Amino acid sequence: MTKILYIEDYEDNFTFVKRFLVPRGYELFWAKNAESGLEMAFQTKPDLILLDLGLPDADGQTLSTWLRGEPSLQSAPIIALTAWPAEVARHTVDAYGLDGFLCKPFKINELIQLIDKLLEPKRHED
Amino acid sequence: MKIELVPASLFSIQELTDLYNQTRVDYLVPMPMNADRLAEYVRDFNVDLSLSCIAREEGGQTLGLSMLGLRRGRAWVTRLGVLPGTRRHGVGAMLMDCMLENAERAGAEEVILEVIQDNAPAYNLFLSKGFEETGSWLVMRRAPRPVLAEPQGEVEALTREQALDVLRAYPSHITWINAYESMSNAPDVEGMRVHLSNGGRGWVVYRSAKFTLRYSLSHLVLHTEEGNPAEVGLQLLLNLHARNPRHDTYAENVHAQDPHLAAFGEVGYFENFSRIEMRRKAGAPLKFPAV
Repeated sequence: MTKILYIEDYEDNFTFVKRFLVPRGYELFWAKNAESGLEMAFQTKPDLILLDLGLPDADGQTLSTWLRGEPSLQSAPIIALTAWPAEVARHTVDAYGLDGFLCKPFKINELIQLIDKLLEPKRHED
Repeated sequence: MKIELVPASLFSIQELTDLYNQTRVDYLVPMPMNADRLAEYVRDFNVDLSLSCIAREEGGQTLGLSMLGLRRGRAWVTRLGVLPGTRRHGVGAMLMDCMLENAERAGAEEVILEVIQDNAPAYNLFLSKGFEETGSWLVMRRAPRPVLAEPQGEVEALTREQALDVLRAYPSHITWINAYESMSNAPDVEGMRVHLSNGGRGWVVYRSAKFTLRYSLSHLVLHTEEGNPAEVGLQLLLNLHARNPRHDTYAENVHAQDPHLAAFGEVGYFENFSRIEMRRKAGAPLKFPAV
């Protein structure tokens, strides 16, 4: 099963996204802060990471550099979910080498399309 | 709804953190904190919780908060926020009045604050309380990566004490969070001076956190002592990042007219957002009725 790790401090946001992704065959994991997100990423080896950039213990950007630095996670696309304006989000994604972003509030269909697009190559590999 | 104001010192750091995060859930710039970060914030920026205020329904639910930093005749209002569902009922104005009264009672001759550009409701509230705009400041970031040009110049590492000494003598205005007092409260201050072959010379003072998830440089202050600031600034930043290629970097509150601004851009910084600094002298009249 394709694993998605969602690192997000608001559980309601995770629950909302999970409701739509589980029926599509994804297995969802939730980490509520950067520290547990890093630990869980190492443990679960997700196929894709949804990363809230505004986390209470560390910035999502800083966390992303640690996720990107772990060889076993380098193939996992990272999607930034952020309340930043789109222009700042785009700069951030480019500078930190992330794979995509959505500005909150986003439509769930936009997220599903982006996830499907980023995981398409993996499906072909499998 | 009857609202009362009580000192923030009646609440635990965790309770204050929870309330702060709830007030910022829909904020223009997302900056949630955990209790450790808020405790550091209180320490580094001389926040006095006994003079900071919580607004709550009488004996009931908390509605908002505001914090007050105090230093040598100056006060700094920070973390002002009201829960989303209870805005536009005067809670922010009540908190602001509480800050001004407490600042005056503590002997502050001047009250300072910063407001995010485009936060019109807050900006208008501060104007109505007699604050005047004094400058714009940029918050920039740089992702960890190697520098693209060979750094030039001779580097002289500054100890924490030397870094604080040069910062204390800095000739221009620095905002509260990067000021000498803030940096002297922080354990992780470093600095370097660069001497260029053409006589150019300058220094950079910064904080360097080495914990895993906060492996970062922050609170950068650059100063050119001799020479062209664009050139000296570039070599300061190239040398800094060549020595710290894995550090994530925040340059917070760099003046919008800072002569080193071009150098920041050249080494890969990008702007996240900007702040407006505002000041109010003690006893300043209200400009128009509070909104």
